Amino acid sequence: MTTKYDLAVIGSGPGGEVGAIRAAQLGLKVALIEKSKHLGGTCLNVGCIPTKALLQAATTYDKLKHAEEQGFKTGTIEYQWDQIMARKEGIVDQQRKGLRFLMKKNKIDTYEGHGRFKDRTHIGITDAGGKETVIEAKHTLIATGSRVREFSFAPSNDKNIMTSDTILFIKEVPKTLAVVGGGVVGTEFASLFARFGCEVTIVELAPQIIPFEDAETVKELTRSLKKQGIKIETATKLTKLDEKGSHVELTVEGQKPRKFDKVLLSIGREPVTQDLGLDKIGLKTEDGGFINTDEHYRTTTANIFAIGDVLKTPALAHTASAEALHAVEVIAGHHPPVIDYACNPNAIYSYPEIASIGDTEAKLKEKGTEYKVAKFPFAPMAKAKIEGMTEGFIKILFEPKYREILGVHIVHAKATEMIGEFVLGKVLETTVDEIGFAIHPHPTLSETIMETAHAAVGGPIHM
Amino acid sequence: MTDKLEEVLMPSMGEGVNEATLVKWLKNVGDKVEKNEALLEVSTDKVDTEITSPHSGFLIKTYAKEQDTVMVNNIIAYISESADAKAPDTVAAPTPSSPASVESSTAPSSQAPLTTPPPASHAPIMSQNGPIRTSPLVRKMARDMNLNLAAVAGRGLNGRITKPDVLNFIGKIGGQIQQPQATAAMSTSASLATEKQGGKEYLDGVEVRREPMTKMRQLIADHMVQSVQTSPHVTTTFEMDLGNIVKQREQNKEAFKREHNFNLTYTHFLAHATVQAIKKNMVVNVSVDHHDVLWKDDINLGIAVALESGLIVPVVKQSNDLSLSELAYKINDLVTRARGKKLKPDEVQGGTFSITNPGLYGSLNSNPIINQPQVAILNVGAIIKRPVVINDDIAIRPLIQIGLTFDHRVVDGEGGAKYLADLKEIIEGYEAKL
Repeated sequence: MTTKYDLAVIGSGPGGEVGAIRAAQLGLKVALIEKSKHLGGTCLNVGCIPTKALLQAATTYDKLKHAEEQGFKTGTIEYQWDQIMARKEGIVDQQRKGLRFLMKKNKIDTYEGHGRFKDRTHIGITDAGGKETVIEAKHTLIATGSRVREFSFAPSNDKNIMTSDTILFIKEVPKTLAVVGGGVVGTEFASLFARFGCEVTIVELAPQIIPFEDAETVKELTRSLKKQGIKIETATKLTKLDEKGSHVELTVEGQKPRKFDKVLLSIGREPVTQDLGLDKIGLKTEDGGFINTDEHYRTTTANIFAIGDVLKTPALAHTASAEALHAVEVIAGHHPPVIDYACNPNAIYSYPEIASIGDTEAKLKEKGTEYKVAKFPFAPMAKAKIEGMTEGFIKILFEPKYREILGVHIVHAKATEMIGEFVLGKVLETTVDEIGFAIHPHPTLSETIMETAHAAVGGPIHM
Repeated sequence: MTDKLEEVLMPSMGEGVNEATLVKWLKNVGDKVEKNEALLEVSTDKVDTEITSPHSGFLIKTYAKEQDTVMVNNIIAYISESADAKAPDTVAAPTPSSPASVESSTAPSSQAPLTTPPPASHAPIMSQNGPIRTSPLVRKMARDMNLNLAAVAGRGLNGRITKPDVLNFIGKIGGQIQQPQATAAMSTSASLATEKQGGKEYLDGVEVRREPMTKMRQLIADHMVQSVQTSPHVTTTFEMDLGNIVKQREQNKEAFKREHNFNLTYTHFLAHATVQAIKKNMVVNVSVDHHDVLWKDDINLGIAVALESGLIVPVVKQSNDLSLSELAYKINDLVTRARGKKLKPDEVQGGTFSITNPGLYGSLNSNPIINQPQVAILNVGAIIKRPVVINDDIAIRPLIQIGLTFDHRVVDGEGGAKYLADLKEIIEGYEAKL
């Protein structure tokens, strides 16, 4: 007999997993379909979590190497790559187990297999052995996420041309690495391997790395990465990649071929929507395979919702989670407020980090919005010196009349932990006045937030 | 029998209708109600209408009082098959405070003023339901614009008023908020200085009894003032011989009544002729947007209908090619439903030209006000038999005065006269093709 559900969720990444749990909490009977043997999607298995585990190792290595500045005698610091990788896998595995537990706790039925629509209310799930199970669902949430995008002229392989999926399992730190595509993923891997002694070159087509971020924070990050030995070639177009035995020959427009041990292709991601049986439910995808929805994430087929990387909204784990919460609340008959993407933060975990929310200066200029800039560096702050993290600044873009916060851009080793205050601030429509009025603990890095707000209204105190 | 509670939501009543004012519950708590039976009467900024019950059962609890303004999709009541079912004291999506209910806690007045003296910066703003949720940005905007936040509907989490809500509110009241101390009443007329003594109110020494306008009356008042301020009104009047139409109506009315079950009236003939004349003079069917003219191919004919509570103008959409009987059928249906408060909001929207017929009450001619954003309105006088000179003979003819009031920004005297000359020719040579 066909099992009936109120909601089927296809994909168990940070969108699907969160949506399934909230739906269960709201009293719906939920099925979660995952084609991989592990729950958690890209984020947990080959994305956010393992990369941050490795980046933390790079930071620890860096700190140990510089411990003498803080009065320690350390001798030669050595790393054990296999142990670092094992720790990373351990963290990932713990989180996967945690997810299994949460599914059980919330009485969510998980199905391992590839889900495809048969019609608007039936999904066939084909397991690894080819056996198909059919379930019935009143509503379905498509949360299938995205996969690594590749060049047609230079596909990745099992050897030296890698993607983020494979480089996470690399056996040793390469001597030389070319990162093709200086977006978030490329920049994070560049920062990771460079700190383990690899000679890294970033090749980026746009005029700056991380093109969507504010030019000023990116300039500061670029300066710091270069100081750390990373070569950054912007406005540069890749024309050819040749696997040559133990190395790769990389050619960019107007230059001679160069040799690298490894090449990382990080040119973006594309939605996974091709093999879902969308034609069976009358759902057409847009160019690039994206799904179109209304502001409640309802597709043109009324009982089918879609969230996360299959949409054109920012392809970020926390965005997918927020969209999933909204969608399942609507499915459960509630009326949550629509998501304001101006309050959606970005986080880049290079060293230093960039974190931001709202508009960049370029965007405000393009929109013709009147704005003012307040900026404050970390260098004069006592806690920044204590932590040995004096690089970077906070920049607040605000509207001059009511001093509404339009955009915040932080570049600093701990930027991603500091943006949260501005996320809440922006959601609550806090102006820079209240940020400056709020007492921040001393000494902290977060005092810099208050100083920047002072800079916006009257003048900073400590500069 | 189950104790299961079924929600009654404030239904969506058309594009751009976000809230409705509850006029009257037609059932009391505890009453039995059938599915699709009228449950309550609401008033929106477009139309007054009855809302039917989505379920059969007993009305267990209601969450909005008469005169409360409720957002679309908010729960307003619970119905259950069991008369003993228990409903929660409050509902999740709160009803944003209505102007009326807020004001009632202070002084009796027609409605909450849209502006108030600036609130102290940190004092919570109170509504009947407790403090209003706002944000620092919203409070700054409200202070700056002298805005009474109690009148603003919050659409954020748990009814929080956010910047888009304020912008939406300012948009709705037409940016009057820019002038400090402006009030909603000022859009209609200046506020009057009355004196209160011994529980009585006096205006220039004359005792007055204050009674709030109905929502419909307020909207009419605002609309009329706005129209007069927008369009330079010019009226021109023709006298027309209705003999031909009288004759054709006499010939057809019995058969028409038998076939269609309603009366074929002069209004139907005149409306049909009006449309034919518009087709020859499409300039009376436009709108004016600053220095642009917006031409429309559809002729959507508005028919002014007097109601006990005011006036409503239902619209016959795309009347261009309707036959006399098709047009008659549509007008009869809309007018009947308008009187029974059964119109949907989109049936009073989108008019491109209007007809008003005070001749029904004996008026000879009148100076109506244009129904914005239209640019012309036809007024129809009484049909009166008069002696007229035809070929140097005196004859008795049923005559009618028909006037066109038009917006001189876009229609000149010649254009208005030409329209009426064409209408006269159509009416006097009318051949009924039912």
